[in-house]
Amino acid sequence: MAELLQFTITGLTVGMVYALIALGFVLVWKSSGVANLALGQLVLLFSWFTYGMLVQAGLPIWVGFIAVIIFAVLLGWIIERFILRPLIAQPILSLITITLGLAYFIEGLVVFVWPASVAALPRLFPVEPFHIGPAVVSQQYLWAAIISLALFGLLSLFFRYHKMGIAMRATADDQRAVQACGIPVTRIFSRSWMFACVLAAVGGVLMSSIGGITFGLVGTGLKAFSVVILGGLDSFLGAMIAGPIIGLAENLGEGYLTPLTWPGVRDVIPFIIIIIVMFVKPYGLFGEERIERI
Amino acid sequence: MLVLNNIEVSYLNVIKVLHGVSLTVEEGAIVALLGANGAGKSTTLKAISGLLHIEEGEVTDGSIQWNGEKIDRKSAEEIGKLGIIQALEGRRVFGHLTAEENLLVGAYHRTDRNAVKNDLAMVYDYFPRLKDLRHGVAGYLSGGEQQMLVIGRAMMAAPKLMMLDEPSLGLAPLLVEEIYNIIERFNTESGTSVLLVEQNVRIALSIAHTGYVMENGRIVLDGTADFLRNNEDIKEFYMGLSTVGTRKSYREVKHYKRRKRWL
Repeated sequence: MAELLQFTITGLTVGMVYALIALGFVLVWKSSGVANLALGQLVLLFSWFTYGMLVQAGLPIWVGFIAVIIFAVLLGWIIERFILRPLIAQPILSLITITLGLAYFIEGLVVFVWPASVAALPRLFPVEPFHIGPAVVSQQYLWAAIISLALFGLLSLFFRYHKMGIAMRATADDQRAVQACGIPVTRIFSRSWMFACVLAAVGGVLMSSIGGITFGLVGTGLKAFSVVILGGLDSFLGAMIAGPIIGLAENLGEGYLTPLTWPGVRDVIPFIIIIIVMFVKPYGLFGEERIERI
Repeated sequence: MLVLNNIEVSYLNVIKVLHGVSLTVEEGAIVALLGANGAGKSTTLKAISGLLHIEEGEVTDGSIQWNGEKIDRKSAEEIGKLGIIQALEGRRVFGHLTAEENLLVGAYHRTDRNAVKNDLAMVYDYFPRLKDLRHGVAGYLSGGEQQMLVIGRAMMAAPKLMMLDEPSLGLAPLLVEEIYNIIERFNTESGTSVLLVEQNVRIALSIAHTGYVMENGRIVLDGTADFLRNNEDIKEFYMGLSTVGTRKSYREVKHYKRRKRWL
């Protein structure tokens, strides 16, 4: 029983971090229709950058974290301005492929700058575990969940009430009509990349504060893909709900199926779930179906 | 005041679609741009609003001036900031946003929140139906409501020149009349100039002060609405009228054939 509870709680919280990273994907997809395949590599890069700031440069945690956010915003701007904007009006396949190129570039850059394959971040959160009934869970998980939920709440408010947020959703619907309203869509693309990078940075820090910095963080990007496909490519709520589902399935699977099958089964489980869901709901759980008036 | 001086437009530097179009929209006027499919009406609007650049089109000759300032090299957002707003053809609402959010997107550039709030109330006053549906998802509105939403969205930008591309397209006659009455009311109450692209000549000339007729990328006829309404060619080619009550003689048909080309 205690075991089950423990798997459930860690699964749900890790899933929320997946969801956070996935939100970045949804944002870019919604506003510009580009699938950002460099998600996992961005997570890796930001984790290492955080390591660089906190450990190598020895900055205090808050200063270091602000530096990471500034770096994320800047990188988002650079990616949009210098990599994607020159390709506007090109076939969508080129745009998606260039993010794949970006992924390999970042991977190479990370290996070049930080040749060590593993590292640990300093402790960001208190370590004493807390008890929920019979289960013992590390506090880091709790904080990860709280931060993810808070960011999700902020983003939802932004998209609901801020005019930039509303304009970003409008762009997802009809780019040309947004331009006809005199709104600069390039600025909207640029903002969405900034958001995506900040979310990847926060997600990366949370993931690596729990599990350390390893090359496996790239896999987090893959998890985020499974989250968006499960939740629906263009749904924020879908990502936020699909994240915990994936996390839960992973952890329960690892806990109960590994003894029966083979080690590493946890990485397969999300994809099995996706395949099943795609059979039943091809738009994902909460994907926007095309509105067709009849 | 908007002045188009003999503009030529090509797409991809190859396909020439406008061969010297000149027109003037005086301040506070309603001007109708009429003509059949493919005459170049929409292209003319896009040349003015700057949307042409996005579609790989370019003004290759002539000039577009807005209050004396040359604007044909400006981007869509710069032109939007000058107060020239185009409502695209075909009721392009933001389907997944609510009606109110659609209207707010139109007011994106404006910083004066009170003025935006007042204009929102004004749009709801013009289109009471939109007020009832303001929290409804725009994609599920009826065709007429979507057209109202598109016009309302253009109004929300507080434009100095509002360009409407076929607001009557695919709507029931009664609804078309309602929408045109509102456009006329908006024009007189706010003093906004309106440039109207229309195939429905009768309804367009009912509110326009002046009109231009386009064919094959050229202006073939222009004048006051009264003049155009009474022009024999307009009557025959665009309104489907001929001298009522008399039998059409064969000679007249031949006359029609001779008169197929303008000028």
